[in-house]
Amino acid sequence: MKYLLMIYDNADSRELFAGEQGAGLMAEMDALFAELKESGELVGSDALADPSSTTVVRAPDPAAPVVTDGPLAEAKEHFGGYLVVDVASQDRAVEIAARFPSTRFTPMEVRPILGDAGEEM
Amino acid sequence: MSPDPARGAPALEDLLRTLAPQVLGALVRRHRQFDACEDAVQEALLAAATQWPAEGVPDNPHGWLVAVGSRRLIDALRSESASRAREERLAVMDPQLAPSPDDVPTPSDDTLTLLVLCCHPSLSAPSQLALTLRAVGGLTTAEVASAFLVPETTMAQRISRAKKTIRQAGASFEPPPDDERDARIAVVRQVLYLIFNEGYTASSGAALARAELTGEAIRLARMLHALLPDDGETTALLALMLLTDARRAARTGPGGDLVPLAEQDRSRWDPAAIAEGVALVERALSTGPPGTYRLQAAIAAVHDEAATAADTDWRQIVGLYELLGRVAPSPVVTLNHAVALGELRGPRAGLALLSCLDGDERVGAGHRLAAVRAHLLERAGEPDAAREQYREAARRTSSLPERRYLDGRAAAL
Repeated sequence: MKYLLMIYDNADSRELFAGEQGAGLMAEMDALFAELKESGELVGSDALADPSSTTVVRAPDPAAPVVTDGPLAEAKEHFGGYLVVDVASQDRAVEIAARFPSTRFTPMEVRPILGDAGEEM
Repeated sequence: MSPDPARGAPALEDLLRTLAPQVLGALVRRHRQFDACEDAVQEALLAAATQWPAEGVPDNPHGWLVAVGSRRLIDALRSESASRAREERLAVMDPQLAPSPDDVPTPSDDTLTLLVLCCHPSLSAPSQLALTLRAVGGLTTAEVASAFLVPETTMAQRISRAKKTIRQAGASFEPPPDDERDARIAVVRQVLYLIFNEGYTASSGAALARAELTGEAIRLARMLHALLPDDGETTALLALMLLTDARRAARTGPGGDLVPLAEQDRSRWDPAAIAEGVALVERALSTGPPGTYRLQAAIAAVHDEAATAADTDWRQIVGLYELLGRVAPSPVVTLNHAVALGELRGPRAGLALLSCLDGDERVGAGHRLAAVRAHLLERAGEPDAAREQYREAARRTSSLPERRYLDGRAAAL
């Protein structure tokens, strides 16, 4: 069962992970990544660039798309990165999220990824 | 599996897959160290797949693979010992390092021991599935990874971790003790059934590699059945797979859309698989009190023997679900029971049975209760309530084809 773990963060929380003061948190995060790789649960992960670098595209008329700079809305937290994990249960996905150091400061969304398998009805 | 060019022609691939667990069994009995032996066998299989097409299949393919596997194992242990200074262990192993090619093992006992080991209770279900497919099924890591839609590196780690976990649990390459045997073989059956379902429920074009998992699960179930011909539950497991897989061509429409049982084109069902499955069910039911696989296989047989959906013997199916609910009660059994009861006595009777699941958290999280309720409400002539339940089910499912199907039912009302 695959889950998308969506990391939400903001400028303040990202700063906590930077420089010397963030070394401990980064080490903790690296250790968790190493563990998830070793267990064969980590499918992929990326961090996103700053929300200010976002481009929003709307194309009600595909011939004339409307492109604007900046994120959709000013928010306290932005989608900042993700992990995709393939785990035995939702409990395990939640456990991983709870151990991800960012969740001490900002929330994380854990959401099932739709699969291609379907039961006969 | 995904076509793996390294694995050559189908006949050769079949031979290698059949020999894989026997060769692994021979190596592990000689050298212990299941994890290192398992890697060595994979390398020997790869060597065979590249050399045999050019040089011809050796007279004793089993002996060839054991010899090459042993050499690879020694090489691996040597390089390990060089880096970790483990000369001592190598010296201890040396007298056993050159097995004679005509040393005949007991392949059947070994294969059963291997299956039980790969389905070790210390492993999570995903790890049991992966390890069984590689070590017993003889699939490459790339093939297992593509079947489960994860990157090869992820699957390689999962398999290597599984082997480590087994070693740390102190498991050895021995048949399980008598008092654990039945329980351990029950886990093997469950793992094979999960492999089957991974493949059977796959429906989109991108899932071809997954669909072939059903073939692999049936092959492994045949193997287990051959090892335990008098075990009724194992016989029934094979029957259940055959009777379910017989409907595969009819269960999806164009674009991978799900076609419900009642609307399937039964002329596309596989009569040979149905005949074999029905014969196996009859045999399994004569072996003692019905277990869960026997009852599920019997239900599948009743469905498969009906020429049209209207010919289905619902009385018999309801009776079988009542028994199943007593032997192995679960929300899923109750849901299926309610559908069958709805056919036999009308949708109100089905809905009444469903009400006993209200507040059951095991069902509450899933979408199936809403889907079954929607179906029964639709039949009871309550389109508004049915639409609401179809939408609820569509919101809750984690399956894309199911969501399309459920949204489609809601839209059609």
